[in-house]
Amino acid sequence: MRAIMNKISKTILSLTLTSAAATLAAQEPSAVNGDASAGAQTYYVYGCYGCHGYSGYGRKDLNNTGSAILASEDVFRAFMRGRADVAPLLPVTDMPNYPANSLSDAQVSDLYAYIRSMPKDVPETGDIETFQKILQAAERPYQP
Amino acid sequence: MSTDKFAPQTEAAKIGRRHFLKGTAAGAAALAVTPAAQAQNPSAFAASYSAPSYQQIQRDTGLLEAPNPERSVVRPGSDLMVQVLKDMGVEFVASNNGSSFEGIQESIANYGAPPNQMPEYITALHEESSVDMANGYGKAEGRPMAAMLHGTIGIQHASMAIYQAFYSGTPMILIVGRDDGFIQAHTANDMAALCRSFTKWDAQPKTLPECLEALQEAYRQAVTPPTGPTVVVIDMELQKEEARDVVVPPFRPAVIEGIDVATARDIAQQLLAANNPRLATGAFRTPEGVAAAVELAELIGASASTSATQGPMGFPQRHPLCGPGADTAYDYVLGLEANSPQLSLQRPSVAALTATRDTAGIGFGGLRANAPAEGRGAARPQQGTTLSIDAQASIPAIIGEVSRLMTPEQRRLIDERKARHAQANQEARMSALRDAIEDKKKGWDLSPVSTARIYAELWPLIMNEDWCLASPSSFSSSHHMQLWDHNKPYSYLGGQGAGGMGYGLGACTGAALAARARGRIVINVQTDGDFNYAPGSVWTAVHHQLPMLTVMHNNRAWHQEFMFIQYMAGVRGRGTDRGNIGTTLRDPFINYAKLAEGYGMKAEGPIDDPTQLAAALQRGIDTVKGGEPYLIDVLTQPR
Repeated sequence: MRAIMNKISKTILSLTLTSAAATLAAQEPSAVNGDASAGAQTYYVYGCYGCHGYSGYGRKDLNNTGSAILASEDVFRAFMRGRADVAPLLPVTDMPNYPANSLSDAQVSDLYAYIRSMPKDVPETGDIETFQKILQAAERPYQP
Repeated sequence: MSTDKFAPQTEAAKIGRRHFLKGTAAGAAALAVTPAAQAQNPSAFAASYSAPSYQQIQRDTGLLEAPNPERSVVRPGSDLMVQVLKDMGVEFVASNNGSSFEGIQESIANYGAPPNQMPEYITALHEESSVDMANGYGKAEGRPMAAMLHGTIGIQHASMAIYQAFYSGTPMILIVGRDDGFIQAHTANDMAALCRSFTKWDAQPKTLPECLEALQEAYRQAVTPPTGPTVVVIDMELQKEEARDVVVPPFRPAVIEGIDVATARDIAQQLLAANNPRLATGAFRTPEGVAAAVELAELIGASASTSATQGPMGFPQRHPLCGPGADTAYDYVLGLEANSPQLSLQRPSVAALTATRDTAGIGFGGLRANAPAEGRGAARPQQGTTLSIDAQASIPAIIGEVSRLMTPEQRRLIDERKARHAQANQEARMSALRDAIEDKKKGWDLSPVSTARIYAELWPLIMNEDWCLASPSSFSSSHHMQLWDHNKPYSYLGGQGAGGMGYGLGACTGAALAARARGRIVINVQTDGDFNYAPGSVWTAVHHQLPMLTVMHNNRAWHQEFMFIQYMAGVRGRGTDRGNIGTTLRDPFINYAKLAEGYGMKAEGPIDDPTQLAAALQRGIDTVKGGEPYLIDVLTQPR
């Protein structure tokens, strides 16, 4: 029963976000209204780094993913509020839910600004000597 | 216990006592002589006073029983026990002191030529560590070392580590001391009852010959499927007694049964009739099982799966036949310690013991064949037919039948198939590696250091060494699984067994014991939470000069729990800003380099600049190759 309810709530949430994202998809990169430095503090205090890493690379990447969830601040806020407002108390994903009384709109706005400001750090493979060594070694014949 | 204290004294003893008292009186008078007087007439002082021995004083004042001549043993029973361990090739006995096994400990230290070798006494700072060491050694070598535990309290300290070894099916011998005549809180009528539910076999022998047989049987039971920890409870009296003419019985190795010839012939026919046979392989008992599986795969030209990235004793990952092969439409799959849609040979696990051994009613949910389909550790449904028999012991018969039945034409086709598999597997390997690198390079230069960078930077430094990754890797995202080549039976020793923390450091120390004499180095990517349960193994590694490189995955938290609490708060809509309470290691941060240095280990860090990592790792590898352990504290991303 719980699995079915999870599936239903996940579908509802997904449709909500997809709709919002579709509306914004054709638009220019959305505005950032919050304070990135305040968002960095919130990111740490609320432990977002736990899953997303200190720089947006982690179990669930935030950094440069092209995720529709980050298409705009409005969509991001809808996602953060999603489970609380649409399907309360049903865990849809591993992502905690953030009703307004636990994370204000201003904090969400700051968080969004911080996430958007995260530096991209995905070097070219050819620029990393370590990976070149690994690839070259993998070409060698197997030695028991 | 002697009763001499309360026995009537002999006439000779009474005379001796009178003489002693007389002498004592004279001595007391002499003691009144001043040092100056002694200096003037030292010979007179010596003639007037013959000092009683400590034992004489004690005996005559009735404070201690007279020495029992029967205690003046020349061939103590514990010497014979140690000889049994020697005969069985037990290299190490890890232990934290306990008065209930002093006899055996003394024999290890002094018996044999040279003493303290095979077995060597390994000083552990906690019983849990000593059993974790045996676990790491057993996983790496596929055979037992021993841990020695003090009665009642030592077993209880060790119990979590025993529980995990049981879950892993690691063979080991646990020797438990029992001293009914000393501290009563440290003895028990049925000592092994404290861990019976999660050990395979136990004995509490009554006589010295029984004890020697029990130690031998403990070894055989430990290595015979289902493999696991075994216990011998040894009374102090047996350790101390004069062995007289007791003879150490010759050791008979365990006989482990494989399939019968008819079944082997049937399997051989199926393998030879198939156009695209495959070996689904899991973890074998010993390195010999791995070698046998390789021989079979090469003989029939079958592609093979491997469990080598999950734990020890797996098929070599980079062997040309290891991989999906040129064609994934397999028409006959032989499961060797792994599931197959056709036929699997799988040795019984310790779960088979639950009905008879689990006196505490634990149930062992993670081992049950009928475990719920959901949740961690849930059993995978069996496919096809499974024979509950040891694959390793069965392979030689299959090889024999395949060799006998194979035609020259089949041999030619097999050689062609092997070449196709080798090319396809290499292409698959390179493709998977390139894909993995695309993921691993994210956040490469950011601080704190990514866990992927730790594993990536380590690999070029060790790929030409004989190495063993002995630490569980799931909490550091197991990047080695995609980046490293796991070609040896001990390349990766897998997880904790039952998910218990505090295992990693001890297990790595045990693996390093195995490595020390074999020119091997041990890599320990050590989570900080796990480290703090029993850090004393750092000292053990230094004391015994073990080749172990510890790289701290220092995320300053029990990070899994941190995420669990965040999730719970999130489900309840209460925010996640207090998820750090009880789950993080802050205020103060722990300096692991200083901690290691306190135990005498060379160390450096904390390192939070990723550009400094490779050089530090190189220093660590150089030190470890020189025979000393090393620790590098690295501040890392959470996972």
